[in-house]
Amino acid sequence: MSDAVAQQTEQQEPEIDLSIADAVIDKYIDIPGNLMPVLQGVQDEYGYIPHVVADHIAERLNVYPSQIYGVLTFYAQFHLKPRGRFIIRVCVGTACHVSGAPRIVETFFDKLGIGHAETTPDLRYTFEKVACLGACGMAPLAMVNDDTFGKMTVQKVDEIIAEYNQRPMK
Amino acid sequence: MVNLTIDDKQVTAPKTATIYEAAKLNGINIPILCHDSKLKPFGACRMCLVEVEQMKGRQIPACTTPVTEGMIIRTSTPDIVKARKMVLELLLLNHPIDCPVCDKGGDCDLQNLTYEYQVSANRFTDEKFQHEIDYNNPLIERDMNRCVLCGKCARICDEVVSFGALTFIDRGIETKIGCEFEGALNCEFCGSCVSVCPVGSLLARPFKFKARFWALTKQKSVCGYCGTGCNLTLGVQDNKVLTTIYDAEQGFHKGLLCARGRFGYQFINNDKRLTKPMVRKDGALREASWDEALQFVAGRLKGGNVAALSTARLTNEEFVLFKDLMKLAGSASYDHSAGYAHSALTKGLSRSFGVAASTATILDIQKSDLLLVIKTDAYETHPVVGFEINQAVKNKGVKLSILSDKRGKLGKLPGAKTLVHAPGTEIALLNAITKVILDEKLTAGTAASVAGFAELERALSDFTPEAVAGQTGIDAASIVQFARDYASAEKALIIFPTGLAYPGHNADLASAAANLAILTGKLGTEGSGVLCMAEKNNSQGAVDMGFYPANGGKDAGQILEDCASGSVKTLFVAGENPLVSYPDRSKVSAALDKVDCLIVSDLFLSETAAMADVVLPACSFAEKEGTFTSVDRRVQYFKPAIKKVGLSKSDFEIFSVLINLLGGQAPASPAAAFADIAASAPGYAGMSYAKLGEEGAFAPVDVKPALVAPAVVRPTVEQGKLALLVGSVLYHCGTLSQYGEGPMYVCPEGYVEISRADAAAHKVSEGDLLTVTSSTGSTQLKARISPRLPAGVVFAPYHFEAAQVNTIWSGAAVTWVTVGK
Repeated sequence: MSDAVAQQTEQQEPEIDLSIADAVIDKYIDIPGNLMPVLQGVQDEYGYIPHVVADHIAERLNVYPSQIYGVLTFYAQFHLKPRGRFIIRVCVGTACHVSGAPRIVETFFDKLGIGHAETTPDLRYTFEKVACLGACGMAPLAMVNDDTFGKMTVQKVDEIIAEYNQRPMK
Repeated sequence: MVNLTIDDKQVTAPKTATIYEAAKLNGINIPILCHDSKLKPFGACRMCLVEVEQMKGRQIPACTTPVTEGMIIRTSTPDIVKARKMVLELLLLNHPIDCPVCDKGGDCDLQNLTYEYQVSANRFTDEKFQHEIDYNNPLIERDMNRCVLCGKCARICDEVVSFGALTFIDRGIETKIGCEFEGALNCEFCGSCVSVCPVGSLLARPFKFKARFWALTKQKSVCGYCGTGCNLTLGVQDNKVLTTIYDAEQGFHKGLLCARGRFGYQFINNDKRLTKPMVRKDGALREASWDEALQFVAGRLKGGNVAALSTARLTNEEFVLFKDLMKLAGSASYDHSAGYAHSALTKGLSRSFGVAASTATILDIQKSDLLLVIKTDAYETHPVVGFEINQAVKNKGVKLSILSDKRGKLGKLPGAKTLVHAPGTEIALLNAITKVILDEKLTAGTAASVAGFAELERALSDFTPEAVAGQTGIDAASIVQFARDYASAEKALIIFPTGLAYPGHNADLASAAANLAILTGKLGTEGSGVLCMAEKNNSQGAVDMGFYPANGGKDAGQILEDCASGSVKTLFVAGENPLVSYPDRSKVSAALDKVDCLIVSDLFLSETAAMADVVLPACSFAEKEGTFTSVDRRVQYFKPAIKKVGLSKSDFEIFSVLINLLGGQAPASPAAAFADIAASAPGYAGMSYAKLGEEGAFAPVDVKPALVAPAVVRPTVEQGKLALLVGSVLYHCGTLSQYGEGPMYVCPEGYVEISRADAAAHKVSEGDLLTVTSSTGSTQLKARISPRLPAGVVFAPYHFEAAQVNTIWSGAAVTWVTVGK
């Protein structure tokens, strides 16, 4: 290892329990082409793919860490930073756009203090604009995790945030 | 072979060729950015589009389309030229036109194609990239703004180097080449990515702003580090070697080099080079004239009681002269490589094969079915051989079995089986494998008639897998399976490294390996045999020239003892640095202190030279002509690339003058000396500089197999202590690489590698300064925590003067040490 790299500071990540990742890896270890299910399973457990876990997966599956990173950045489904407990998705597809989605998006931005693909510091919310959620009849549409909210209005934004502020984090 | 038509020319090509290869074979040039003969076709750059009549004029990439019988191909119709121009325009959209300050200028494929296709304007506009340039390491600069996404760097790092430092990151228009988590490049620094980069995205930093490419004189040479025998092209300007230049077709290794070969050339023009002779007066070394120094040396040599130690880096011609000089001085005591590093060849293979040489060549690696590698260090000692193994396993499906005392990079190759054994038990393990082959009648038909068969059977009676399992720590079933794998492979090749750091790789290990090959008949055919990889660039040459004790001469160990006892009065050390590289430093130091007169010829004032009475400035391989013999007995001729630095002389000239001063008759030139070699050295018959040419030639090996029962010394085990393994590190070779800036950038100091379990037990963190103590002494080394070591084993590379690893290492295969903070 070069000194230049040795001197690089370790990524600031909270203490990660690798045994959770090991349990997922053990499940798929003997299956050819196991990288995707392992990454998906690990992300389900941690909510994202921490750097140390990616390195650990590389070591266990004997693939290059860079290759894992290539896969993680190729697919939009993988996340490299901690995500919120509640993922708020607002549709900005054509139908939602014409029925006022931009205003809904702006309101969420104002209320949460975060922008697209960002997470609140308390890890409660992650906000994402998405192209189409496939429920154009209910435009404009928002989703929080698996809950769907159709015919969105600015008031509804307040109600949603109030409701999910009450929900437990675990 | 298939017949096809390219640009109205009837040509033939092999069935497996692509259109691009077929055209190239027949002298038709198709432009391309993403192709290298060592890599699998990729089809990324779209420059090699051609038209195939059978495909209704569609434009298809020549580099990924296989040829078929009767194909009619056109490589440069107006439509094709138009398409290529468009590809170039699109590439130049984002590529910064900073050729005046780009070190790739003049050697840049994109620049050359832009010129060739006269793309002087661009119909499109777009923003340039704004990627941050990676200056995080001292050897390779990554400027992704210039990248054309051909993927060659990522592919060579995967397919050949098998490290996988680089990859495509992100998707679509955002795609770029980068490292894991956008970090800095942290790899083996072999520079393969730099060499294949078609543009200035990856650059060798030591060469930055040193010279324009077209102003360099390109001089072909042979690498002066390890015994692989790689060819180099040195870029020279103003009598300085400024860089190594990639030539995709050069040598058996097709231009591949390791970190040492590509980035370690700076020792040639290092400011620390000795430029004038020095003679000790009033206790200090003072500059003297050549005449004075050589007269003094000749006087000492005439005085008798002389012995000599040499580095294995001299040329064959110099070894012959050195031997002649010692004969004139009336001494048969001369040796190299500490006396034990060549014993695998001179004692082991010579008794097993009747010749002190390997039976296989490096070219056999990719033609084999199974490679049995003893010690993963084979990759560190000879990295380009490691590349060959990578390619064999990854591209040709060759099986890989490894016996090693620690895990290593080779063990990560697909399907590689590694048996990690207790330190120092290799020979017992090989004997057990041999016994399985005998017991299960897996021997070749003629095995029983080979001399020594019955004695070997008797000698191995105690080496049942069950008995050996206990001491090696490997279960009997694995040993049996290992033996069956080896015996059942149609072609199998045994590879093991030897060198100063591997005293356990001795005559008995070589014989044990040879026994396996002889018994199973895996000898003398393509892809089979034994490849003993000696450490230095001319280790095999030193053996072939007979520069080791015979006829009652003393070996290196005895010579040092005689120096200490006073029976050797004059010691001539050529290029060797025993104070740092030989085991048991205190003993070496006492011997060099005690000897009446110490004469050292070297490039640098090494630690040994600093103790000398006379120091003769020698010159490097780049300043002289001669031949080196690689580990597989490929004899290669090289010419000087630059004039000699300062007043230095080649060892050939030094020995010539001394021979004449002692009343002998030295050959007039290296060519004349080589003519003598061709007349006398076995295997070199009929060779001459003219015949060697650029490719070199193999000295044939005539094998007379004999089975020899290897002696097994059971390593002692000291409870509560750790087993120290000494070895080589990837970036260094001997002590010469200490003077190459490149290797020193990436690996500047010694260290001790410790397993995770031991680190936890001793509460050691990465980078802690540990005191490592053995029965012979103690030294302080920085800790590196490594996943590759088994618990109870630590590893330290031997190259570094400051680390003084040879104070704790007395030359045993395994040294028991304690570590403390």
